[in-house]
Amino acid sequence: MTATLAAPDAVTWTIGTPRLFAGLDRYATLDYAAHLAMHGPLPHTDRSHLTALLGAIALSGRGGAGFPFATKIQATPDGAEVIVNGSESEPASFKDRTLLRRAPHLVLDGALAVAAALRARRVVVAVHDARSAAALRQAISERQVRVHVEQTAGGFVAGEARALRRGLAGGPAIPPGRRAHLAQHGTLLSNVETFAQVAVALRLGPHRFRDTGSHAEPGTTLLTVSGAVAHPGVVEIPIGTPLGIVLSAAAAPTPLAVIIGGYHGTWQPPSAHIPLTRQAGLGAGVIAVLDASTCALGELVRVTAWLAAQSAGQCGPCRFGLPALADDVARGDLAGALRHAAAADGRGACHHPDGAARFVTSALHLLRDEIERHRMGGCGRPVRGQLAVPA
Amino acid sequence: MTSVAIDWTRCDGHRLCAALLPGRIALDEWGFPVLAAYPVRDDELTNVRRAIALCPALALRLDKR
Repeated sequence: MTATLAAPDAVTWTIGTPRLFAGLDRYATLDYAAHLAMHGPLPHTDRSHLTALLGAIALSGRGGAGFPFATKIQATPDGAEVIVNGSESEPASFKDRTLLRRAPHLVLDGALAVAAALRARRVVVAVHDARSAAALRQAISERQVRVHVEQTAGGFVAGEARALRRGLAGGPAIPPGRRAHLAQHGTLLSNVETFAQVAVALRLGPHRFRDTGSHAEPGTTLLTVSGAVAHPGVVEIPIGTPLGIVLSAAAAPTPLAVIIGGYHGTWQPPSAHIPLTRQAGLGAGVIAVLDASTCALGELVRVTAWLAAQSAGQCGPCRFGLPALADDVARGDLAGALRHAAAADGRGACHHPDGAARFVTSALHLLRDEIERHRMGGCGRPVRGQLAVPA
Repeated sequence: MTSVAIDWTRCDGHRLCAALLPGRIALDEWGFPVLAAYPVRDDELTNVRRAIALCPALALRLDKR
């Protein structure tokens, strides 16, 4: 019943017609021949064509922040370095590794198309895990292209865009203190799925790309569904699909709460009508489900402690504030937790404190009754670990 | 709009800014600055610039946008 994503290979399924996942029902990995048979050759592109296409389909970055990708390309000078961010540090996310391992040529297509449009000097794919690195190197060798694969050290904030660029440049993989845009450094960085979507869009063109999804956010997106569901996995959905449809397809019989957008996202009641859009906080596509068989407060305590431990420790309000917040949550001190969460918000070099604050605050609002029950002597339920926390 | 910005990777909680700019900068329980949300007024600029110059960690700057 309960499943977390410790499994090295997530199951994939789709709602609607697959695009990124086309062929994954038949192939474990699409090699170059299978990729070409499934998707056809990659159309030629240049800067003006690509910018117009991405603008027309309103493609947003798929790493969580959802920045418009056309705007990012426009801001990046010719000769830039293109970085594909596959470091996927969110514990409940598996979509990027799934793409890298099973449809690596789609990711390479997108990266090479963007590189051609920008006359890029270098293309780098950064991953945290050996299996994704191996799958990519295999794919690269099948088509004789110059793409560097860098296997970088793990850590939640190490996957943040500016931290990753800094780490790749030989510095510490922690966010810099000033919020300069990467484009100013001649770097274009985006998430693995963003590049795969570019590969799909180049083939479909703007009109067919918009055939599915919502008006404001056309196309499909990937979710990682985990927790109290019978069918966990990585799922391709039309953007805007209601949460209820995903929950029934994943077979979540008695959901109590749903975490949307990961451990920087929000706890929500399992309302069937919530549209899964970036506007609604979808972030990097994490859907983690809790049911009444686990102690929800205990789950929150574990994740909050993990978030506190992920602070790089370079910004005081995060270094001291998140452990204090974790301590409040562990003691069931609602007022203290709300105060420390508000104090952490916006006071760091990256968005880790903001995200942790949002996660805990939304949980506390949803779990008020639960917290009260604990004050009266506990809920009597074990903590099942429905929310994945790395060891 | 002009505001005070903090480089959080530099700030070590020396507490000087709060002493120099009471009303604009308070301190949290660990001694790190808490900024007032409203923009810097023209008549405050001299004092704000002085506080920025005196920060031992060089963690403060004026942000104009």
